[in-house]
Order: sequence, then C-alpha cells, then structure tokens
Amino acid sequence: MARQEYNRDRVELVEPFQRSRLIPPGWDKNPSSWSERLPIVGLALIGFMIAAYLALYQWRVLDTVWEPFFGEGSRIILNSRISHILPIPDAALGAFGYLLDAVTGLVGGRRRWRTMPWMVVIFGLAVGPLGIVSVALVIFQPVLFDAWCTLCLASALVSILMVGPAADEVLASLQYFKRERARGNSMWRAFWGLS
Amino acid sequence: MLWAQVINACLGIWLMASPAVFGHEGIGRTTELIIGPLATTFAIIALWEVTRSVGKVNIILGLWLMIGPVVSLGYGHIAPVINDFVVGVTMIALARTRVSVEGRFGGGWSSLWRDAAGDRMGT
Repeated sequence: MARQEYNRDRVELVEPFQRSRLIPPGWDKNPSSWSERLPIVGLALIGFMIAAYLALYQWRVLDTVWEPFFGEGSRIILNSRISHILPIPDAALGAFGYLLDAVTGLVGGRRRWRTMPWMVVIFGLAVGPLGIVSVALVIFQPVLFDAWCTLCLASALVSILMVGPAADEVLASLQYFKRERARGNSMWRAFWGLS
Repeated sequence: MLWAQVINACLGIWLMASPAVFGHEGIGRTTELIIGPLATTFAIIALWEVTRSVGKVNIILGLWLMIGPVVSLGYGHIAPVINDFVVGVTMIALARTRVSVEGRFGGGWSSLWRDAAGDRMGT
C-alpha cells in the first residue's frame, strides 16, 4: 500500500523530468527550439549581407556605396582611420562576426542548451561583443568624423536586435552548469555536453 | 511596459539628432552623441523579457543627461540644456516603470549567483 503511494508520487515527478529534457527546469519554453533560434539566424544573415556589401566597397571591389540620407557620410566613415585600424577593413570583420553568429546559431539540436553548451557559449560570445563593437562604432562616427553612415547604422541595429533573443539560451546553459556543479559533477564535462 | 522601452529607444535617437537640430558644438554635443546610442541600445535589449533589467541602465544615463549639461555649461544655448534635462527626466521615469515578466526563466540571471539550496529541480 505504501509502495503504491510512492509509485503514484513518482509518476507525477516523472512528467516534469521528461519535459525538462527539452525545457530547462523552471522555464516554460525551450530556448533552443528552432522557433527561438531561426529568427536570430535570419537577422545574422541580413547583417552579413549589409556588412559584406560595405566590405566590398572598402576593398574597392565596388566603386560606390549606397547612401540615401547623409551625403558623403558613408564614404567618410568607411574610409576613416578607425575603419582601417586593423589589417582588414572593419566591415569585413563585421561580416565574419555575423557569419559566426549564423553558424553557431544553427549548429546543434533542439536540446543543445544542455547537449552542446559550448556551442551556446560561443554563440553568446559572438553575439554580445559584435553588438558592443557596433554601438562603439556608432558613437565614433559622429563624434570623431562628424558624419553618419546609413548602412553602418542599419548593421548596428541588426546586431543589437540579436542580443535579447540570444541571451535566454545562454542563460539556460549557464544555469545547467550551475546545477551540474551543485550535484558534484564536472563543469568541464558539462561544458562539452558529456554529462 | 514595452512602450516605455520603445519611447526610450526613440529618445536615444532624438539625442543623436539633437546636435544637428540645435546646432551646438563641444561637450554638450559629445554627451548627446554618446548617451543617445547607448540609451537606444539598452532600451532595445530590454524589449525581451530575459534581458528586461538592462533597461534600468537608462536611469543612470538619464541622470547624466539631467546633471551633465547643466554643470558643464558647454552649450552656450539654453535650449539644448533644457532639452537634455527633459529627455533625462523622461528617460528615468520610463526606465523605472514596473514591468511584469510573464515567462519563467528558472530564476533568471540572479539564480547564477544565488545559493544552490533553492535549486529543487536539480535533475
């Protein structure tokens, strides 16, 4: 009799456990689902196209650059010393960043917040700093060169829009690391999805 | 509230345009061109529930707008100082609006540095 009661309790406990294989404990949605991730990948691809176009101008594959609002603004910004502070032009670096966002956003299944946390962490590290650099460049544009660049602003907006949606998956992985450590498991193994 | 963050994002863009609108130079212009993009960024990030608390940073930026231009007197015009003050006050008020987070995020970011004792769903 006591045993039956025990089993009934277990049945109720099993259901949330199975849900938690997709949905993190204490959450009501799965941050690694495709409906959460594909919009971010879409934004990353838009950002990639903008940045790649600007990089082609900076490399002079294209002779002109589209600038509907600020006259000479785009040309001043894209040829400025800040843009060429590194061996490759800044838009090329941005294009690489967006591509990294898209790839690390796509790789891994619907449970990757716990089966492939390292990919989620790289994804977060790709999205976050790209946003920071974009905003820094938006500040530099007018302060240093007194000019604006429409497509640079559009690119910055795209990179900022990705931060919020990307953050929840990172949070789920970090909480997973913490639970694993609380249970005495290796965080190193958890990071590589081995536990 | 979402609209509060949307308005703050627009206020940031208004700040970016302000130097051209009022035609001022110097430290006031630089202040607006730094705070504007930052305020818009934090407001946009705060549109998502899991990063909603990021919008609170605009309280600090709003204070800077209220105090900075008045102290530095870098404007020479009264209009931009008043503009920045009003934008700062509005930004603080909107950043402070109480927001209800509907989704559950396993205790959120603070769960990462809270004691693990509250972690009942350890599986």
